[in-house]
Amino acid sequence: MRRRRLGGRVAFLALYLPPVVWLLLFLVVPLLLMAAFSFRPDLRGGLLDAFAPTLKQFAAVFATESYLRLLGLSAAMAFGVACIAVVLAYPIAYYLVRHAGRRAGLYLLLLLVPFWTSYLLRVMAWKLMLGEEGVVNSLLMYLGWISAPLDALLYNRGTVVVTLVYVWIPFAVLPILAALSRVRPELLDAAADLGASPASQFRRVTLPLSLPGIAAAFFLVFIPTIGEYVTPSLVGGSGGSMYGNIIQDFFTKAVNWPLGSALSMIMLVATIVLVAIALRVVGVGRFFRT
Amino acid sequence: MRPDRRLRSGLIVGPALALILAACTSGGSGATVQPSVAPSVAAPSVAAASAAATPVASEIPAADVTGNLTVLDWPGYDQEMFWADFKSTYPKATAAFEIGQSDADIYGKMKAGDQADVFHPYTGWLQFYVDEGLAAEIDTSRLKNWDKVPDEFKKIGQIDGKQYFVPWDWGFTSVLYRTDKVTTPIDTWGALLDPAYKGHISMWDDGPGAVTVSSYVHGYDETAITPEQLSAIKAEWIAQRDLNRTYWASETDLTAAMKSGEVWLAYAWQGAYATLLGEGVPVAYATPKEGRNSWVGLYGIRKDSPNYDLALRFLDAKLGAVTGNNLVTNYYYGTANGDVMKAITDETLKEAFSVDDPSILQKTNFTPNLTAQQRDDWTAMWTEVKAN
Repeated sequence: MRRRRLGGRVAFLALYLPPVVWLLLFLVVPLLLMAAFSFRPDLRGGLLDAFAPTLKQFAAVFATESYLRLLGLSAAMAFGVACIAVVLAYPIAYYLVRHAGRRAGLYLLLLLVPFWTSYLLRVMAWKLMLGEEGVVNSLLMYLGWISAPLDALLYNRGTVVVTLVYVWIPFAVLPILAALSRVRPELLDAAADLGASPASQFRRVTLPLSLPGIAAAFFLVFIPTIGEYVTPSLVGGSGGSMYGNIIQDFFTKAVNWPLGSALSMIMLVATIVLVAIALRVVGVGRFFRT
Repeated sequence: MRPDRRLRSGLIVGPALALILAACTSGGSGATVQPSVAPSVAAPSVAAASAAATPVASEIPAADVTGNLTVLDWPGYDQEMFWADFKSTYPKATAAFEIGQSDADIYGKMKAGDQADVFHPYTGWLQFYVDEGLAAEIDTSRLKNWDKVPDEFKKIGQIDGKQYFVPWDWGFTSVLYRTDKVTTPIDTWGALLDPAYKGHISMWDDGPGAVTVSSYVHGYDETAITPEQLSAIKAEWIAQRDLNRTYWASETDLTAAMKSGEVWLAYAWQGAYATLLGEGVPVAYATPKEGRNSWVGLYGIRKDSPNYDLALRFLDAKLGAVTGNNLVTNYYYGTANGDVMKAITDETLKEAFSVDDPSILQKTNFTPNLTAQQRDDWTAMWTEVKAN
């Protein structure tokens, strides 16, 4: 008995310790460092030297209306991207579970094919699609629908949203797929026996039961999108920056790590608050019922 | 100097930070990972000579000099053609490269304790290396090619009256434009702010660059921008944003956008001009009435580098004729070796450097050094432009 328990503990440690140590070293410690940096007055002197903590950086952020407005705008964009991605992903997941049959595996594989290509390349491909001499403009000009290339297709916030939705759809499909495949067909049979039309079967059985998947997909898209910076810097143009670009600039262009850290901390807190509110609205309990 | 109330977190997380930083500096950019300091690898005689601070050039035959040098440089400059003289003169020595993507990136890495022996900042980004004790003074008496460097360039590498940096590459910044799209010749930096070109302008994604342009246009003293001037500059570039198609981050972004016709005029280095000329794109490089801007790239040696001697040899070889010619013909940038510049015969290159205009250097404004405060203020101004 005793030996068995010991073996269990060893197995537990062997399985859990590596990821925990990994996360501690490469996620928690850097986050703490960043938190500490956000209280530095500037980057002068040794990085490990003691310093007098100050709220100067946070004050600077809160004194700059445009940063906070951009955070709000980025959250709104992330919300939009997450909603659109979930709405578009749902039918795909539904089809894969209900109608694809034996081909479901193949279709799922096809859905994941884009990931064989670098993220950067996929975003650059949108530049080729939407540029002034791009695929869309060339087609429209060839058809004679427009006489001059549309320059509104590329380099604005709309392009960023379109590109991000494209990037996230496959990710959004997976949790919805998992939730839908857990909905037992007998439940639908029972609903049909009780006189529910296919539409109300979906509305009253399938949809509610797949809500945890929908919520998971939403957050999977929403949370990383708030801090997104690669896509806006490639297709956003002059006016398409997101909050993440500002953070990136302070780290890589300005070497102002303290201010960049303060901006990051504010985003982290804002994201946690937004997610907490969303969970409260949706109802936390739902996620633990399967 | 500092108040007594201090955060001791540095002590607690110190070892962890060291670990993270080590991971960042070596892994981040796909750079070469090298044993950070390896005095044992360097030839003992070189190290001993270094300690005695005596000229070594005559003591060890070049062919027998050994050692491993680590260079923190910009992408592209790690190619062997850009250190060809070092390779051929010191066949037994090696150079490994780490890559930095921008001045800020390179400064950030050095600040974080990167162990590179040699690093490559540009005009504007020099003062704080010295202020923060990251750069070693250069013993120019040991650089054989030093007398080929024009005095204007030497001066740029001097901080607080001492030579801390060796100039190597340089070029102009001006307004580059498509002559088929922009029919009236451009003669002012103000074109970058002109609503007539709405939707076809591309500015460099850089705060100090924007301050430079505004300073030229309004006649501000670039070294002493007042807070009022800075907020005027901010307003100016916020208004410019609606005219600007996209901010460019790398020269290849810019040349692609100009070649496709998406961008008609841009803030540009003359490398872009030469590239587009070479590809047959109809472009002209303005000589603005306010003067062109010029930048210089310089090499510094990390303070406390155990390879100081080898680093000096590397920098001397950087000024060599073969390396300089490779720079001029492949990247269309100038070299600090004046002899190489005088010998240019290629018409495109002569055009790009305006070699035939004897007064071009007088019409040029060299980028002044930034203070840490200016760097912070000007880059913050620029992020506000983008955030608006």
